[in-house]
Amino acid sequence: MNFEEQILMELKAEYGARVERRRRTRRLMMVTAAAGLAAVAAIAVPLLTGSESAAYAISKNDDGTIRVELHEFRDADKLEQDLKDLGVNADITYLNSRQICARDRGQNVDSPIGKTPEEWEKTAVRNVARPNGRGMDIDPRHISSGQTLVMEVSEEGDSVTLGTRLIVGEVRPCNPMDDPTWEERKAEENRQPAEN
Amino acid sequence: MRRQQAKIAPDFAAFEAFYRRHVDAVTRFLARRVDDPHTVADLVAEVFMAVLDSAHTYRPKLGSEVAWLYGVARNTLSAERRRAFRESQLTARASGRRQLNEDDIARLEERIDAARHSRQALQAMAGLPDGERAMLELVVIDQLSVTEAAAVLGIQPGAAKVRLHRARRALKALPFSMEGISG
Repeated sequence: MNFEEQILMELKAEYGARVERRRRTRRLMMVTAAAGLAAVAAIAVPLLTGSESAAYAISKNDDGTIRVELHEFRDADKLEQDLKDLGVNADITYLNSRQICARDRGQNVDSPIGKTPEEWEKTAVRNVARPNGRGMDIDPRHISSGQTLVMEVSEEGDSVTLGTRLIVGEVRPCNPMDDPTWEERKAEENRQPAEN
Repeated sequence: MRRQQAKIAPDFAAFEAFYRRHVDAVTRFLARRVDDPHTVADLVAEVFMAVLDSAHTYRPKLGSEVAWLYGVARNTLSAERRRAFRESQLTARASGRRQLNEDDIARLEERIDAARHSRQALQAMAGLPDGERAMLELVVIDQLSVTEAAAVLGIQPGAAKVRLHRARRALKALPFSMEGISG
């Protein structure tokens, strides 16, 4: 296969992963509205406002994963420290609505380039933080020594989106930027409100 | 925004057609600026990856597809050059490199070799102010029309002509002939 065809395969894998990601995000955001479930590379988590005193709650699941429930967008430093005490090297950024961090946070452990969508779904970064209820379950076994779980959380109406990265070595500060996919995602949600 | 985005994004077949239509032009664009086959191939992949990201910013009225694509390629290239200063990134990229076979390397080297005069010309332009150099690059090296080059840079054709004129005047002082250069 020549390099043009190789690149085309890589692009196809990335395209497939995005379509899947978007589909899942949309579906889970629907569910979020109804029952309070959450989604993936963009995880949708409903926010509780006002009534909770703690910004978040951490607990341990039986299967060895760590559960984080997010109530308010504050005390990221404290959450990072609490996770660190549990052996999870995490970097958490709370962003304004419709914002994401520029991609250049550091050296990513996994990349969709050169992988089929199936292979990509099996990578550590796709499995290190799983959505569950009003938060996510973090699996520390997917974070190797010297790596940091980077979570970028933003508000979206009464839910939030969460992007995850696994970075090896230094994590650079977040440069917030407008989410280029926001309008696209919004338009799709509006167009197909009844899916699932 | 939505309508233009749909031009490229609705299904992979459309994107694939877009890719096949332009992969050669993008490869040549990059071979005029980078002289390593692996880096050229990496950058081609990155340009089209960026197209997946930014397809919704393609606005047909502003110029041809290829002019828009050259704009994406310019941004990718300057991001690459900024990144080249950071060793850790380079290491990461090298590990992600695809395997080029002998035929790939030969074809890429052929293009890189064919573009050596272009790279010499680019060196001669290096001293010009950024805006003027960019304009001259696109017209002389990439053979775009003034209108297309203006679209790549996001400026008005009038302003583009002024920049081009200034750049040519500045380069007259150099003992380098700009005639007969092509990619």
